[in-house]
Amino acid sequence: MSNLIFLPIVIPLLASIVAALFAKQLRGVRLFSQITAVLSLVFISGLTFYIFSEGTIVGQAGGWQAPYGISIVGDPLAMLLVTTTNVIGTAALFYAPRILERQQETFYFYGFYFLLISGVSGAFMTGDLFNLFVFFEVLLMASYGLIVLGNGKAQLRESFKYVLFNLFSSMLFIVSVAYIYSITGTVNFAQLAERVESVDQQGALTTVGVILFFVFAVKGAIFPLYYWLPNSYVVPNPVVSALFGALLTKVGIYSIIRIYTLIFVHETGVTHQLFIWLAMLTMLFGVIGALSTHNVKLIIAYNIIPAVGFMLMGVGLYSPESIAGSVYYLMHDMVIKGALFFLIGALVVAAGTKDLRQMSGVIQRYPLLGWIFFVASLILAGVPPFSGFIGKILLLEGGLAQEEFLLVIVALLSSLLILLSMMRIFVYGFWGEKMDGMSSDYKHIRKLTIPGVVLVGIAIFLGVGAEFVYPHIESISNMLYDRTEYISSVLKES
Amino acid sequence: MIFAIFAPLLLAIIIPFLSRWKDKIHTGWLILPIPFAVFIYFLQFVGSDFQPKVFSVDWIPSLDIALSFHLDGLSLLFALLISGIGTLVVLYSIYYLNHKEQLSHFYTYLYIFMTAMLGVILSDNVFGLYAFWEFTSISSFLLIGYWHHRERSRYGALKSMLITVFGGFSLLAGLILLTIVTGTTSIQGMVDQADTIVNSEFFPFILTFLILGAFTKSAQFPFHIWLPDAMEAPTPVSAYLHSATMVKAGIYLMARFSPILAGEPYVFIILSLVGLVTLTWGSYMAVRQTDLKGILAFSTISQLGMIMAMLGFGTKVALFAAVFHILNHATFKGSLFMIAGIVDHETGSRDIRKLGGLFTFMPVSATLAIFGTFSMAGVPLPFLNGFYSKEMFFKASLDNTASSPFAETLVTIIPILAVVGSIFTFIYSMYLFFNTFTGESQVDELPKHPHEAPKMMLLPPFILVLGVLTIGLFPTIFNESLITHAADAVYGGEANKDIYFWHGLIPAFYMSIAVVVIGAVMYLTKSKWDRIYHALPGRLSLNKVYDWIVAKTETASQAITQFYMTGSLRNYMVLLLTAISAIVISVMLITDGMNFDMAETAPITTSEVLVVLFMAAAAVATIFARNRIAIILIVGVVGYGMAVLFVMYRAPDLALTQLIVETVTVALFLLCFYHLPNLNKSKTTWFTKSTNVIISVVFGLIMMVVGISAYNGRAFDPIAQYFIDNSYKLGGGDNMVNVILVDFRGIDTLFEVAVLFGAALAIVAMIKLRRNKGAN
Amino acid sequence: MEFILIGLASLLFGTGIYNLLQKQLLRIIIGTVLVSHGAHLFLLTMARVKTGAPPLISDASSYTDPLPQALILTAIVISFGVTSFLLVLAYRTYTLNKTDNMEEMRGREYE
Repeated sequence: MSNLIFLPIVIPLLASIVAALFAKQLRGVRLFSQITAVLSLVFISGLTFYIFSEGTIVGQAGGWQAPYGISIVGDPLAMLLVTTTNVIGTAALFYAPRILERQQETFYFYGFYFLLISGVSGAFMTGDLFNLFVFFEVLLMASYGLIVLGNGKAQLRESFKYVLFNLFSSMLFIVSVAYIYSITGTVNFAQLAERVESVDQQGALTTVGVILFFVFAVKGAIFPLYYWLPNSYVVPNPVVSALFGALLTKVGIYSIIRIYTLIFVHETGVTHQLFIWLAMLTMLFGVIGALSTHNVKLIIAYNIIPAVGFMLMGVGLYSPESIAGSVYYLMHDMVIKGALFFLIGALVVAAGTKDLRQMSGVIQRYPLLGWIFFVASLILAGVPPFSGFIGKILLLEGGLAQEEFLLVIVALLSSLLILLSMMRIFVYGFWGEKMDGMSSDYKHIRKLTIPGVVLVGIAIFLGVGAEFVYPHIESISNMLYDRTEYISSVLKES
Repeated sequence: MIFAIFAPLLLAIIIPFLSRWKDKIHTGWLILPIPFAVFIYFLQFVGSDFQPKVFSVDWIPSLDIALSFHLDGLSLLFALLISGIGTLVVLYSIYYLNHKEQLSHFYTYLYIFMTAMLGVILSDNVFGLYAFWEFTSISSFLLIGYWHHRERSRYGALKSMLITVFGGFSLLAGLILLTIVTGTTSIQGMVDQADTIVNSEFFPFILTFLILGAFTKSAQFPFHIWLPDAMEAPTPVSAYLHSATMVKAGIYLMARFSPILAGEPYVFIILSLVGLVTLTWGSYMAVRQTDLKGILAFSTISQLGMIMAMLGFGTKVALFAAVFHILNHATFKGSLFMIAGIVDHETGSRDIRKLGGLFTFMPVSATLAIFGTFSMAGVPLPFLNGFYSKEMFFKASLDNTASSPFAETLVTIIPILAVVGSIFTFIYSMYLFFNTFTGESQVDELPKHPHEAPKMMLLPPFILVLGVLTIGLFPTIFNESLITHAADAVYGGEANKDIYFWHGLIPAFYMSIAVVVIGAVMYLTKSKWDRIYHALPGRLSLNKVYDWIVAKTETASQAITQFYMTGSLRNYMVLLLTAISAIVISVMLITDGMNFDMAETAPITTSEVLVVLFMAAAAVATIFARNRIAIILIVGVVGYGMAVLFVMYRAPDLALTQLIVETVTVALFLLCFYHLPNLNKSKTTWFTKSTNVIISVVFGLIMMVVGISAYNGRAFDPIAQYFIDNSYKLGGGDNMVNVILVDFRGIDTLFEVAVLFGAALAIVAMIKLRRNKGAN
Repeated sequence: MEFILIGLASLLFGTGIYNLLQKQLLRIIIGTVLVSHGAHLFLLTMARVKTGAPPLISDASSYTDPLPQALILTAIVISFGVTSFLLVLAYRTYTLNKTDNMEEMRGREYE
């Protein structure tokens, strides 16, 4: 059983090579990619259910026991996120052929796609700090390939900035690994947790932990380190934006959740309080950004940032409830961000412009797109009974229970402004007199809408059917808060 | 009962499919039976022996969220209003909306609203309540924006959504606090713990959050501004949502929590004061409106204020009057909205300045309007229900006791404000009726030639007026079977029992008379007072404040975002590095993270120092290099220096790799930058330059200090010994580094190759992919 | 000796950052190369140097910690891949945008 745990990482890696080798046989590659994605989604879902019921599976690569080898840890949190990743990825594969240019597809879209999935899944599942760095590089390299796909002028310009920011944070990552290795002599998460605990996180450890936090904060787009995000998520093709919006920042925030609930948890008065402040500023500045523009794609891109703030808020509050809130929100946000980028891509094609000021009345021709977008906006703003609401009440409960009134007020205010930013698109873009120059290729737009519909359907289920999901999230959060199960399952003598 | 609540929603899902028959039969007819059936369902509970009932299904038990419904007197009253008036409104809309309109949308929104509103007033679970609450806001948004090709509709829709959702979020915070304090999500459970809540340290917050939710929804001053703009919705919607039901959700909320809140000094002050200000302001503003629906909107605001104030008084008689007035207001205001819609429909205008003398053309509508307006004005006639509750209001306004000096002042002001507000109410009621139906007719100026509406369209307002009269004539029947139970629920015990027309010559009666006399005089001489009505607000109106806030949010967002999102890589880097430096330094100081107890180190040798100095010199030289070839070679020196260091520090594999990599890199550099322009002397300002220097130096120093502290802070032996012991035994290799790479940490290496693979693909794609058409 | 090396690594970081803050593409890339050298040097130094023989099985009584060396090797190769990509990206960016000045590539047309 424990060897199966490597498959979520290895399958996409192999698929990536196959897809790249046969990239010129476009139809074959499409079919191959879609079939592979669906099959591995089925397999991974099965594996996840197994782990939910039977408990964490740890794969020790090469059979080397932890902490000497690399542990691939299939704990419920990692598997939940890997499954979500594959859901969104699969939806993206059905969206891609309808929105990419042929050349973009033949120049290795599918190869990069699988490489990205492999890197993201690996980052979620690895139990080793340096290995996390390696998976970060894998997913970043794939994202570099995706972001430049098409070689537009602005695209390359923004890619350059994107690459530089990530390169710099990767270097900081290596230095943090060096610091941590110097103090603790290990890079295995579980052993790190033990060792940091046994010296009570003294001396330079907290400082090093904060430097490591900034590494993830750059990737996770936390205030004040998200400058690279908005424009670089706007320039590539919508399907790439969707993958980025749904997956990339989430890897950063996942790492923060992991490291700051497992390893650096003994100076919460400093570190987690810092997170609370940063979470507030992230929410505020993100939503301010979303209100500052008329580019519909950019509005969605900016909306990634306050969502990250919400998740960070849960880590900062550091209670079982709030961590559950963060995890729920993380899962919800992956789904809904994917959906929104899909829908916005469809909207831009339908309206023929990205500029909200030139858009109006799109709903009169494309009612399905309009209504799904409307529902997606409500989900994003956390209106009950959809998925955003469950995460939000948990976070708010956590915040209010700790009397963080300012934080709660900021969170609610930014929810309101998120709703405003989305409703501006709905009211001015979808409502109103029918505009000129709208696309009349109904079939194409419908095909572009359907992947979004599927993801919105999932998001609705995550809210209405929360009873099927939440108990798992609750046990995940208890596991994160308690830590012992993770540590013992990784370090157990084999 | 669950079915009764969700039936409209289920129907709403089917409605879009009914539109295929819409040319043959108006969709309204097909769906009319549902609200009527719901009405009948709830009617069966009415009776003097009514007992509260509970229905519940689990939804998300692990979060304590359930669909649990508690049907008590208050909920029953609201449920009957929602389903009853809902039925009438659907009937009315069949004649109001042409079948060429997008009826399926209209009815879908309307039926979503019905379920949502029933849910709000029946939910016992606070999260259920909140979920339904937001859905009333959303359906209201959609209904106001129903004619979304109109600019005003879009504006009104967005405004109502922003304000009510703002309140909704505030309500959510309040409800969560309540669950934290009481440990239950059931409202009844909370009522049982009223003392715990009131004495909790969170109480001020709970109160503020709940009140904000209630005030925004029920259009209390200064949040009332969304309601007049909501009149852009089709008139059936205005009659239904924006006067009879949805706007009373805030009232409902306060009434529901009244057993907890009533009697609290702050509750008394806030609710009474805001309610009375709303009453007075709303009725004053109503007089200056020229649009029939505008008058009714402000009238609704003022009536809501009156009910809110009574909930604030919190006395037995006040709470009873509040509940009674909820019913009365729904009947007369609903009928008046419908008449206004009829007038609009049959004349093509709602501008009261163009209307007049319509009595001759529309005698039935006019007759119905007489009862509606006079009841609203509180004219003391035994068959007008409005008078009963109005007089109770006066009575209650005289009946307050104060617990603080401020409250004492308030107690004396309350009756005055009550009378002033009622005078204006009287004036606009008369204005509404007489200026529309009597006087000189200006038929030529109207878009359509006026005539009486079809009989079936008159039926809904007729039924409502019938309600006005029956309640007026037989108050006891309604009281015993319905209102008493509702009042009991609000009061949390035995409430007032009796409704009389004639109370004797008590002060409240004199107040009523004063209102009628002064009101009549002021109405008759209205033209002379015009200056008062138009002098005060204008530029300073609250709408301007709202517009200013919305516009300012946008411009400020733009200004802030453009200030720091400059697109300049350097600016971003500067901000990023400054932030990291500042926070890392602070954390280091706070946690006492520096450690200068020098640990054991390797001895210093001359050759090593020479290499280090050489590299350092090369690194610094990159800053001053002016030639592209030179700078590439200098960096090459640093790279080769690294290789030398690797050799010195017993890392032969690294040295080899570094040599190869460095050579290839330098070659690549030369290849790529052969085509690039040469380095030029940077024309940067002194300020930029010094910031760059400071940032680089500070960041380098941070890395150094943390590095030294981490070095000195070694707390454990590295796990390395295992590799040293086992690489030959288990890994089968002499070279430990190699064994680690290919075996112990094989995954690292596998994915390192994957990175190279990705890089190769990306490079090929970048070089080969050439698009013909313009980028982006 | 380690403290001198830490100083050198920090210097590499500092000069790298200084170059990163410049406008010209070439200088910026040079900056990233310096920073990555600094990072690798940190990894080497922080594990302590010269604590024993090279990590090749011999009859030595103690060896230098092999793990950081393995990590550095991986990091060097990854840096190489990324740097090559960055070089080509810089070249393409320059030819398309017709400037090597980052300040002229702010790109505000999206706001």
